[in-house]
Amino acid sequence: MKLLLIEDDSEMAWFIGRGLREQGHVVDHSASGRDGLFHAAGGAYDVLVVDRMLPGLDGLGLVKTLRAADVQTPILFLTTMSGVGDRVEGLEAGGDDYLVKPFAFAELLARVNALGRRRPMLQSDTLLRSANLEMDLIARKVRRGTQEIDLQPREFRLLEYLLRNAGRVVTRTMLLEQVWEFHFDPRTNIVETHISRLRSKVDRGFEPELIETVRGTGYLLRATSS
Amino acid sequence: MTLVAIIGLTAEALVTNALKRQAQARVGSEVAELFVQYQERGPDHLRRLVAARHAMHENRLHYAILGKDRRVMTGDPALAQVPHDGTFAADDAVHEFGRKPYDTMLAAARPLSDGSLLVAAIDLDSVEDVEDVVSGAFYVVLGMSLVLGLGTGLLLSRTLLNRLDAVTRTAEAINAGDLTRRIARTGTGDDFDRLSATLNAMLDRICALMESVRQVSNDVAHDLRTPLARLRQTLEDAARNSRTMTDYDLAVAKAMAEADGLLATFSALLRISQIEAGARRSAFQVVDLADIMQTVCDAYAPTIEDGGSPFDVHLPQGVMVEGDRELLTQLFANLLENAIGHTPAGTAIRVELERGGDGRSGRAAVSDAGPGIPAAEREKVLRRFHRLEQSRSQPGNGLGLSMCAAIADLHQAGVALSDNGPGLKVAMVFPLVG
Repeated sequence: MKLLLIEDDSEMAWFIGRGLREQGHVVDHSASGRDGLFHAAGGAYDVLVVDRMLPGLDGLGLVKTLRAADVQTPILFLTTMSGVGDRVEGLEAGGDDYLVKPFAFAELLARVNALGRRRPMLQSDTLLRSANLEMDLIARKVRRGTQEIDLQPREFRLLEYLLRNAGRVVTRTMLLEQVWEFHFDPRTNIVETHISRLRSKVDRGFEPELIETVRGTGYLLRATSS
Repeated sequence: MTLVAIIGLTAEALVTNALKRQAQARVGSEVAELFVQYQERGPDHLRRLVAARHAMHENRLHYAILGKDRRVMTGDPALAQVPHDGTFAADDAVHEFGRKPYDTMLAAARPLSDGSLLVAAIDLDSVEDVEDVVSGAFYVVLGMSLVLGLGTGLLLSRTLLNRLDAVTRTAEAINAGDLTRRIARTGTGDDFDRLSATLNAMLDRICALMESVRQVSNDVAHDLRTPLARLRQTLEDAARNSRTMTDYDLAVAKAMAEADGLLATFSALLRISQIEAGARRSAFQVVDLADIMQTVCDAYAPTIEDGGSPFDVHLPQGVMVEGDRELLTQLFANLLENAIGHTPAGTAIRVELERGGDGRSGRAAVSDAGPGIPAAEREKVLRRFHRLEQSRSQPGNGLGLSMCAAIADLHQAGVALSDNGPGLKVAMVFPLVG
């Protein structure tokens, strides 16, 4: 993917840039808000990673300007502002996701990937599928092969999120935010427990095993078309 | 003082005026009466009457008949001083005139048919005497009030200055660093005493806040030193004793976990102070408390049940409160984690929400059947970093419950910790919407 990183802290930019390039992405870097705005408006980027506090033009203003100019590129905010209202403010300005510094690099990578491959047509999908696992979003039914699987509402949401991101790593934090709306870090490993329950319903006794654990990062639902 | 002077002058004027009018009426009626006698019984009779009355000389009244040349024909010779202009000839009005050896007089006159003039007059001595008495009294009163006024004024300002001085001295002592100083109270319950009481209460509040700030910074310093010391130890140990890559990897992983813990503590502290500052209230919306609690319970149910604990959830439908969904979620998540973390496996946990009798409040409670918290400790556990002795060895930063208290406070829901017999019950009463 082609990414634009707008970050004024050179050490942080170096750390993020190196990590993303190692993963095969092309990364451009702007060190100020104005420079970033110029590049973002001109270049065809898959994802913008924007620091909120920038010299010249701050991240919030930059994103608002881009959205007003009808630039629809997915945007991930990076920020040290962890205030309760700051995330909402960032999303309302037009950001698609919000990550608070300091973060684990794997978390950033997973979120960039999730934003980059978001297909615009996804909203109209009524059927999600991987291998012989099928989710009907209208009837709210799940089947594995010929067998119908009974899921509780939260389990359904969890599986739906995994299916929408099939083939990509989703982190524990992403699941907490998307499935339970937990915007904090609980001490209890509730995600693990829910995944293990879901596995026992969706994966146990079926081939292939679809839900994988990615050590130290999160989970991955394998994408197989057949 | 001016008021006393005004009152005195007015009183004198009123009294003088009244007495003069009385005297006017008196001479007026005397002249009228004598004129009637003159008309009925002739000039000789009048002359005799005037002479007789002059001889009696009663009540400071003077009588005379003046000839055409204004000489006194009969009666009091002093009345020759009545002005010789036409004043007294034309009407029967009463006029004032000065005259020796008397003081001011009031005189009334009537012209007679032979061209002579009948005059009756009255001394204003008595009126002037009364005037003297009144003004004399007035000067005494004026003097007295002057002395009294100045005296009490001096006394009052001395007292006021003394008491203001006491306040100033206290304020100066506090500025100089002695925060324990308070304004001395007189106990009279007057305005000054009440002001002192209010100022003292304000000082108490400031002291309590200062104390809590001091305590928090102490706690922060102390509680962050421990993990930082561990982090340093890990790194030093890795530098000195690691022989293989695996050793280094393990040390790095351990150091990162320690750093993450520290960062989590910092975030929690920042969040608590942000919540306590109350800025978030502006973003409040009407939210369904029952729905929020259900979501949190759903999230934790598998963990609790896998731990072999009975999990009881009693939630009605749609209990609307004004609040912040994210914070309320965290509130109940913290309470459940607390219940899970501080009780042995298999301990029953219960979450409930019920509407108050009046329908205006909703009582939410999270309770467990674990070891509970001794009554003496219950208030303290809401403070930052406070941890019970027996839980020091368990993971956690001692901020969970103080964050709960901050969130509940923000939502105007008081937190009450009580004995669940056995265990701990944390209850909050939320004001409901609609």
